[in-house]
Amino acid sequence: MRRRRARRGICERRGRWGWAFVLPSLVFFGLFSIYPVLNALYLSFFQKHLLSSAAPRFIGFGNYQYLFQSPTFWNSLKVTGIFTGGTFAMLVGLSLVLALFISSRKRFQRFLQLAFFSPAVVSTVVAAAIWLLIFDPRGIANQLVNTFAGTPGVDHRWLVAPGMLQFATMLVYVWKYVGYFTIIFIAGISSIPRSLIEAARVDGASVWQTFWKVTFPLLKPTTLLVSVVAMIQCLRTFSTQYLFSQAGSPRGPIDVITLNVYHTAVRTFQIGRASALSIILFAIMLFLSWLQFRVARSEEVSYL
Amino acid sequence: MKRAAWFLVVLLALGLAAIASNPVKITFWTHEDPNRTPLEEEYIRRFQALYPHVTIERVTYPSARIAEVLLTAFAAGKGPDMFNLEVNDAYPYLVMGRVAPLRPEWVGYASVDSILGAYLEGTLDPVYREGKLYGLPLELTIWSVFVNKKYFREVGLDPDTDYPRTWEQMMEVSEKLVIREGDIIKRRGFDFRYGYYVEWLLAMVEQLGGAFLSPDGQTAVIGDEAWLQVLRYMQQWGPLGKNLGSPTYTPARKLFNYDRNEVTMCLTGFYQIARIRTENPAFYESGEWMVIPFPVFENAVTDVASHYYGHYYMVNAQSSLETQEWTWRFIAYMLSHPEEYLTRVGLIQPRKDLLASDVYAAQPYGDVFASDMARSSLVQLHVANPEFKQLLDEAVKAVMLQGVTPEAALATLRTKANEVLAEYK
Amino acid sequence: MRQRNAVRRGRSALATAGVWLVLGVVLVYILGPLVFMVTASLMPAMEVTRIPYRWIPQGFHWQNYWQAIRGNDGRFFFVRNMVNSLFVATTITLSTVVLSTITGYGLAKFRFRGRKAVMLLIVATMMIPFQVVMIPLYIITTSLGMQNSYAGLIVPFLVNAFGVFLMRQYLLTFPDDILDAARIDGASEVQILWRVVFPSSWPAIATLAILTFRSQWDNLIWPLLIAQSREMQTIPIYITLFAEEKFTDEGAMMATAVLASLPMVLLFFGLSRYFVGGAQLFSAQKG
Repeated sequence: MRRRRARRGICERRGRWGWAFVLPSLVFFGLFSIYPVLNALYLSFFQKHLLSSAAPRFIGFGNYQYLFQSPTFWNSLKVTGIFTGGTFAMLVGLSLVLALFISSRKRFQRFLQLAFFSPAVVSTVVAAAIWLLIFDPRGIANQLVNTFAGTPGVDHRWLVAPGMLQFATMLVYVWKYVGYFTIIFIAGISSIPRSLIEAARVDGASVWQTFWKVTFPLLKPTTLLVSVVAMIQCLRTFSTQYLFSQAGSPRGPIDVITLNVYHTAVRTFQIGRASALSIILFAIMLFLSWLQFRVARSEEVSYL
Repeated sequence: MKRAAWFLVVLLALGLAAIASNPVKITFWTHEDPNRTPLEEEYIRRFQALYPHVTIERVTYPSARIAEVLLTAFAAGKGPDMFNLEVNDAYPYLVMGRVAPLRPEWVGYASVDSILGAYLEGTLDPVYREGKLYGLPLELTIWSVFVNKKYFREVGLDPDTDYPRTWEQMMEVSEKLVIREGDIIKRRGFDFRYGYYVEWLLAMVEQLGGAFLSPDGQTAVIGDEAWLQVLRYMQQWGPLGKNLGSPTYTPARKLFNYDRNEVTMCLTGFYQIARIRTENPAFYESGEWMVIPFPVFENAVTDVASHYYGHYYMVNAQSSLETQEWTWRFIAYMLSHPEEYLTRVGLIQPRKDLLASDVYAAQPYGDVFASDMARSSLVQLHVANPEFKQLLDEAVKAVMLQGVTPEAALATLRTKANEVLAEYK
Repeated sequence: MRQRNAVRRGRSALATAGVWLVLGVVLVYILGPLVFMVTASLMPAMEVTRIPYRWIPQGFHWQNYWQAIRGNDGRFFFVRNMVNSLFVATTITLSTVVLSTITGYGLAKFRFRGRKAVMLLIVATMMIPFQVVMIPLYIITTSLGMQNSYAGLIVPFLVNAFGVFLMRQYLLTFPDDILDAARIDGASEVQILWRVVFPSSWPAIATLAILTFRSQWDNLIWPLLIAQSREMQTIPIYITLFAEEKFTDEGAMMATAVLASLPMVLLFFGLSRYFVGGAQLFSAQKG
């Protein structure tokens, strides 16, 4: 009895230490993240011109109602879906394949890892400048495709044709982040006991079967982590689309939600509507992550 | 003589004001302009020497970003004491009461009317509201066409006689001048100044009798035939038509100065002359460039050149009255050097005395600009103009790049523009 | 038998060739733009958009680099802005690492009421798009008088939710026995944190440090809003200002890009084993 009480005492004292360790960051997040979000949530129920000094006008769910009836909003949702889906698939797929390949090599491992990670050294502004020159009609993207396809002088309209434009933004994005996810996958693969794979091979399983039956299931936690991070990254994309639309591309096909938020605030001056839009984006991200965490928990891998 | 007298009045006014002298700090945000920076920094030094209690901090931003930075700062109630913006972007600040009017005596005038009288007719309209003046022009220009004569001769044209006077000729000449490898353009004949649609696209529409806004400002997109003709023209211009240019190529005006066989003609303002001089003196001296008037359509009903493009210095209404006063005095001090702005930066202050001066007359192609300005007007300002610019951009790119028919693009433009208008009613 | 082996060997040779081909394409995709950046930085502007592009520059157009450092206005802000970027990114990295480790440790190894709620809050914070918080953040920061100062550049980023999340995931796998042993030896909680947790979290800390540094090195919007004077500005602003009037001088633009990437390159090759080794922590995810 006394021992139990003593133990509870230790627990409480330890609990207090836990709070003490967590508190500084919590205060910080409260001030610099939570408060601004609550502020945005609050604003999303008002109509307010960004420049007006008049008090905001309460309109309830008016902004949300407006958005759900606006074709621009649905276009943004669709475009964000396409970008996130496409980029996500390319990122996760390509980095998994690269990781499997690199892990199976004996030589050049380090070189390949560094090579795939190297785009991370350039900043977003620089990356956009490089890729805009590459996608220029006179640029090397056209030259390369034309050389290999034997179609001299064709302009593939990278920054212009809606499909190509969407693809171009994905290429830039995947380029920047594929190395990062490859490295995480390599780490995941290296933690799988080699003996398991060898055993499967000895039992006569093909490379393909070994991958699907042994490697992939064991990689699930890593895949999940990569997925969560990759998806958040893709949904938050802004700079590439912004810089492309500044450089003459039509906005429609790449008007992702974040870009739409920016335009609603900075060009339309409707700060309430922009807030509503960003709250929707935030809700989508929370929902998708919740979904992924749910899946994770059912797989007995706890992230929370 | 007259100018000297004006100068004295300003100095006197400034001198009297110096008696009261609490320390005043002025923050001044402006866009990056390499030719203007040294000039204005010199003015700041001199002004601070005259009035030691005033300190001025001048900050430059990329011009693509300054609108955003100013908006954020003003939305947060932390705007700078003074700034300048392109007039369409500045207008919402005025309508929303974020900028402060000047008092004539601060800038050495007897009344607002006498200030209006010192400037070219109508050039202060965008900053004039209910008897008060909310800004003074740093520059006002129009887009005219700059021509590289060499490439005209290269394709057997005489630049002095064969230069395009109509948009139809512009297309014909450009077809002769363009050099392509397959579909890929290596040298353009002419290309538009995409993004600044309010200045040139609307002028083209108005040449044909159309307009963006009805005179009462209640309805958007007036005159279907005019709009359709212009949109068809743009469609023909782009890669889906005759493939003469596109918004995704490097802006023509940026390439023009380099004289690298990439563009023959571009649409730009007077200040381009000063930039040619600093960026490529050899080309400037060669005399191989010239300026021609803004073309018109063959079936035009009104002969209008591109709309004015202007920047006005404005003062934050949130600054203390004392700061406002000193900021206006400082602005007036800087702007009292119109000839230096003209000769060193290529900025035209639309003041009657400047435009009548020998210095202006001695400027190359000053006459072309003067005559284009005479057939130019100010675009109808609306608080939603920044958004209208976006809608025009959307419409042009839809027909040029995305294969949307001019009819469909026009319908979208009309619907969206009227929706925006409805929100401000 | 021998024939079948030969066929199999032939097929596998073909497969290997295929794999290398795919890998080659991917390598061109990844490295091509970087090679383009470096080669274009050595060329006069005309050459950059030449058809066909010359991958081997004809001579060394060093003027591009001089132009990049000198700046359009000839005032050499490159050096100052580089120092600012380094200082800001380093400070933020240090504080992020320290605060994330402390908080992550608190969340991973202590059971206290509200722990789950805190964790949820932090995961939610990870997802806030910057556009959402930009204006309120600006109001807070400027109200604290931090406009146009290092504090304004640094304080809003002192710690981030991703860092806390990452450190917590890592510390979950940290053996409790070691902590308990230290407690029995009479070490206080702070001492344990300092002497035991920090030293043994080195791989995770290194990874977090690199990621934080990288993302701060990249930050454009915030410094643009908060740092007004040229003396306070950072490298991404320098690049956009440079591109402003000189974008047509593509060679000089690429030279600026190369120079601006140098610190990251050095960091990257200097600490490359942590990019690789530090990532191991992701594989030890089970909590």
